[in-house]
Amino acid sequence: MKKLFVIAVLAIFTNTAFAATSIHAEVKGMVCAFCAKGISKKLREQDSTQDVWVDLKSRMVVVELKDQKTMSLEAFTKLIKDAGYDVASVEYINKTLVEIKAEHTHMKEVR
Amino acid sequence: MLARLFLALLLLVTLPAQAAALMGFKDSAMLMSEFSTDRKELMLNYSPAVGHAFGVETMWMRGEKQTNLITNINYTGLIKRWNMPSGQANLWFMTGIGEASGDSSGFSYSPSVQFDYETTRVYFLAKARMVRAPHIQYDTYSVQGGFSFYETSFEETQPWFVVEARTTEGMAMRNEITPALRLINQNYFLELGITNPWDSESRTPRLNLMLTF
Repeated sequence: MKKLFVIAVLAIFTNTAFAATSIHAEVKGMVCAFCAKGISKKLREQDSTQDVWVDLKSRMVVVELKDQKTMSLEAFTKLIKDAGYDVASVEYINKTLVEIKAEHTHMKEVR
Repeated sequence: MLARLFLALLLLVTLPAQAAALMGFKDSAMLMSEFSTDRKELMLNYSPAVGHAFGVETMWMRGEKQTNLITNINYTGLIKRWNMPSGQANLWFMTGIGEASGDSSGFSYSPSVQFDYETTRVYFLAKARMVRAPHIQYDTYSVQGGFSFYETSFEETQPWFVVEARTTEGMAMRNEITPALRLINQNYFLELGITNPWDSESRTPRLNLMLTF
């Protein structure tokens, strides 16, 4: 019974990890497209990256992950730091890039 | 002949040595240059780690009394970077050592410091650079300020208006004021300016382009 409970808990957490389709971060210091090119380039080189979106106005960086692939938040943060920037906040988010972009556009229209 | 042609082409398609970013990201190379009547500069550096870059630079300078070609190996270091929610400021140190040739020749060195601050809408830069060799002293002090016409997305090209005031000891054209249109894209940095536009004798165009790869 105990084993069953542990397996169930592990299954839930594993599922949550795989359900994270994107990494969403707010990056400090990201003000120029030419200077921030390194962020996009380095993230796109990663095996687990499906697509990348950089938004200078909101200082937002989003990486959509490939199916069944993952990237740790530590690895993501190191890539941003290697490009010369600091991460203000970072989280997994269970949305595709298309959904995040649509939400972002909607929020801008509302404002 | 081919080498000269290659160098000339590079000079024609590269950027100002005073852009805010003096190096690319880790494991990237950056090409920078300035091309004007009295001054032609080309710098290529490689960044093996965040905040450090090594490279080569060549400067052709036409002074009041002499003309020189200075070729240095150089190091660029980021002393301090301030990443703010809506801006970035940097303090840089650069130094180069090499050889001067032309009307005077010998060991050359060129230390400099630069401070810059930038948001998506405004830009400021101040720089001091010594360029020294036996009987050669082209020390330069410059400030730049500018603004972008509007904010853009990462994929779009952003236009800026920038003005630079620069004074260089020993140069044929000692004082320069250069208003310029700057276009920034994720793949390039292009600047088109006219130095001393109100003075028909010293008026000269300036073309700069920066590339990271």
